[in-house]
Amino acid sequence: MTIRNKAAIVGIGQTEFSKDSGRSTLHMALESILEALADAGLEPKDVDGVVKMGANDDLYEIDLLRSLNLPNLRFFNEVPHGGGAACGTIASATAAVVSGMAGVVITFRSLNERSERRFGVSTIGGGMTHWRQYYMPHGLVTPAQWVAIFGQRYLHEYGYDTSALGHVSVLTRKHAATNPHAMMYERPVTLEDHQNSRWISEPLRLLDCCLDTDGACAVIVVSAEKAKQLKSTPAYIAAAAQGTGSRAEMMTSYQRESLARLEESEATAAVLYPLAELEPKDIDVAEIYDPFTPMVLMQLEAYGFAERGKSPELFRNGKLELDGETPMNTHGGHLGEGYLHGFGHIVEGVRQIRGTAVNQVPNVKTCLVTSGVGVPTSAMILSKEPY
Amino acid sequence: MADIPTPFPQPDRDTAKFWEAQNEHRLVFQKCSQCGSIRYLVGPLCPECHSFEHEWAESSGRGTIYSFTTVRHQTHPAFVPPYTVLLVEMEEGPRLVAQLRAPEGTEVVIGAAVHVEWEDHEKQSLPVFELDE
Ligand SMILES: [Zn+2]
Repeated sequence: MTIRNKAAIVGIGQTEFSKDSGRSTLHMALESILEALADAGLEPKDVDGVVKMGANDDLYEIDLLRSLNLPNLRFFNEVPHGGGAACGTIASATAAVVSGMAGVVITFRSLNERSERRFGVSTIGGGMTHWRQYYMPHGLVTPAQWVAIFGQRYLHEYGYDTSALGHVSVLTRKHAATNPHAMMYERPVTLEDHQNSRWISEPLRLLDCCLDTDGACAVIVVSAEKAKQLKSTPAYIAAAAQGTGSRAEMMTSYQRESLARLEESEATAAVLYPLAELEPKDIDVAEIYDPFTPMVLMQLEAYGFAERGKSPELFRNGKLELDGETPMNTHGGHLGEGYLHGFGHIVEGVRQIRGTAVNQVPNVKTCLVTSGVGVPTSAMILSKEPY
Repeated sequence: MADIPTPFPQPDRDTAKFWEAQNEHRLVFQKCSQCGSIRYLVGPLCPECHSFEHEWAESSGRGTIYSFTTVRHQTHPAFVPPYTVLLVEMEEGPRLVAQLRAPEGTEVVIGAAVHVEWEDHEKQSLPVFELDE
């Protein structure tokens, strides 16, 4: 028994991405879910499963369920570990539809991450418990600062200057510049712009950091059999997997052997590729979770596109451009399109498989999508055809 | 910037001794009574051998800089940039996060030797690192 190509994403929905949505996260989640259902030719009464990401939002699932009024709901759960959960929700939905525990499953993400609850600004003080007690009292209080410690170590171990980070920013902003949905539409940057942008937390500059964003995305997962009966073009789930690493903390796993690689992503890749019976060279498009530029470099290595310490060469050799070997973050990613906790990457992956993306890569048969890093993570491979 | 109190460690039943020692200006780590490994972060169980038994071993307070960041963008009212936070690999093995105490503009280099000094705050004394001479 394998899940390989036994489930598919058949519906996608997405609100605009902005600095101020003007409405609640619940409102946006419902909009994106109804759009995804309509895209699949389904109605709320057809839904019997809902999987939610667990962290950092003010949306209560009970309010969502009451609003949608789902008389047949029988499968619901929540995947932990922040942005690491994005493809994890797809993995959970896949398990549900392949096992028969559910037939039509919604997964979604909705954030007013710019106008209401910015992750990049620390909003807590006083007594710090759990992992926070070791870092917050010392002034290490935001994701950018936690990741800077990893990024510094990566640059040091492999002998790069910060231009290695800048290339990530330039590529993603280039793709965002031709995506009308992107917050950075028609706003490409150069390496010089990157080097001139202000420091946030060295070695990270402003252009190394993702965009605080308001918006929502939703997808609908059904079995491959059911997908054949629906009107939309399915994106088959060749594999979906989760993974973690040693001495894991939430973005501050500083006790592990190496801070110049991502154990969680390596562990996920080690499950994902054999499950899909594919190798990195078989991937046509890669949508890589990009909260901060160093995390993109380390993921490209973890997912097998370059040896450890060699991923900056991929950018210099054009391999990740739209006409390159493995086009990356074709929508502009978190750095250029907007930060939807990995769900923008999922929706774009489906569009690339369907052939409907604004920056469409020709003849896409497979697409890798990864999720939040420096935490227990997840990833999936989408396929145009079952095999 | 919103009025947010300064963060301080809130000791719990697992971590109380770690923080109590710091209030006495002593840096201590748990040492497993069964396999001898030093464990950090603080916790009830040895991840190596799964023994709950441990003693508290005092650190030399010496280490080398493993990584660092200089914060230049303010994100919390209690922490005014610029300041440098070090990740220091202690002689005993654990890597400890604390701020660098040095004149502004001091060059920070990975591998440099540092030692612990102490700063007293209202709720909790905390270590800072100074570069060795
Ligand atoms: Zn032990």
